[in-house]
Amino acid sequence: MNFVTFDASYVNKLRAGDTPTEQHFITYFSELMVLKLRPRLSRPELIEDVKQETFSRALSLIRSEGGLRHAERLGPLVNSICNNVLMEQYRNSNRAEPLEDEAAARLVETGPNALSMVIADDTRRLVRQVLDRLNERDRSLLQAVFLEERDKDEVCQELGVDRDYLRVLLHRAKSSFRALYSQQTGAKTFH
Amino acid sequence: MNHQDALKEMAVERYLLGELQDASLEDFEEHLFECPECAEDVRAGVTFIDAARTELRAPRRVPVPAVESKRRWTSWFTSAWILAPALAACLLVVAFQTFVLQPRMKLELAQAQAPAVLNPLVLANAGARGDSVPEIVAPAHRSFVISLDVPSTGGFSSYLCSLVAPDGALLWQTTISPEQARDAVLISMPTDKTKEGLNTFLIQGLSAGGTLEDLTKYKFRVKIQK
Repeated sequence: MNFVTFDASYVNKLRAGDTPTEQHFITYFSELMVLKLRPRLSRPELIEDVKQETFSRALSLIRSEGGLRHAERLGPLVNSICNNVLMEQYRNSNRAEPLEDEAAARLVETGPNALSMVIADDTRRLVRQVLDRLNERDRSLLQAVFLEERDKDEVCQELGVDRDYLRVLLHRAKSSFRALYSQQTGAKTFH
Repeated sequence: MNHQDALKEMAVERYLLGELQDASLEDFEEHLFECPECAEDVRAGVTFIDAARTELRAPRRVPVPAVESKRRWTSWFTSAWILAPALAACLLVVAFQTFVLQPRMKLELAQAQAPAVLNPLVLANAGARGDSVPEIVAPAHRSFVISLDVPSTGGFSSYLCSLVAPDGALLWQTTISPEQARDAVLISMPTDKTKEGLNTFLIQGLSAGGTLEDLTKYKFRVKIQK
């Protein structure tokens, strides 16, 4: 697969204000920040605020003298700025919940969100194909974990599997989905 | 954390399942923002999970089994070309049994169970010394009675009585004890066990040493009443 490389050339273009590079930068890290922020911030406008503030600070830093010495550290820099902005957001909203104490399980939320609302029918059809291939136990496992949001240890015990099995099941399902997606659309990435 | 570590620890799956916390969560997210491969994998995982939530709400659709393109070897049993003649043959057999065999058997059973006066065919000295050969008209599918004498001299341990067909084939055989041989022996003979023509009863004595000795032959002619 062809992935983007964050090298000196890329960073120089960002510094120079190259519009396509800047758009790529915004799009790419926007998606990652949504994935990172959505279990931590309940309201979409808060996510948007953190994103905007992060991009503003990141671009300012990149364009400043000696702001980013190692181009390959661009991603971790954005992540670090995002963490700082998120901490400030917590403090401002009196939700003084430190990032490290955030319940990671909230990543698996069951309610509809912006991303799930725009899932294309084609994508859902591919996911349906993957789910239809699963045996009853594996399907029940995913249903209990992702849909019913039940305790994973309890579910695994009920179905006679361990947590490693759950990880491998998710890995296989995800890989099958990626393979079908590539086969169907010819696309290399998910958008 | 580098990409190999992430793969080895199944960090993407742990992240998607919400199993990473504290330092491990921070480590992976830092890696996630610099590794396009892991970022792509997480995006795929999140897309899959979000869509799966919707799909898992719906009842599972049971796929219709595909029609086998290659027929099994046993499939010819169910072929109309085989089934139709087989069914017709079965019906013929049932009809034959119902309308022909069963009435005949009932009649024969009734005849067999009915009291009747028997006129035995006496074979004493028949065919011996050039006497005329006796003839019996045997009722078809029934039986007739034969009376014969067994020469009881010679001190044999038993006697072997054999019915030989006109073509020389052995039709029936029985052993007679010396006690039975003292008087005339009556034999009820099914007509179907005989053949039309000149039949012969061969009487042999069985010695204590196991040797057989021909004692006498009774010839008689059978004519089957149709």
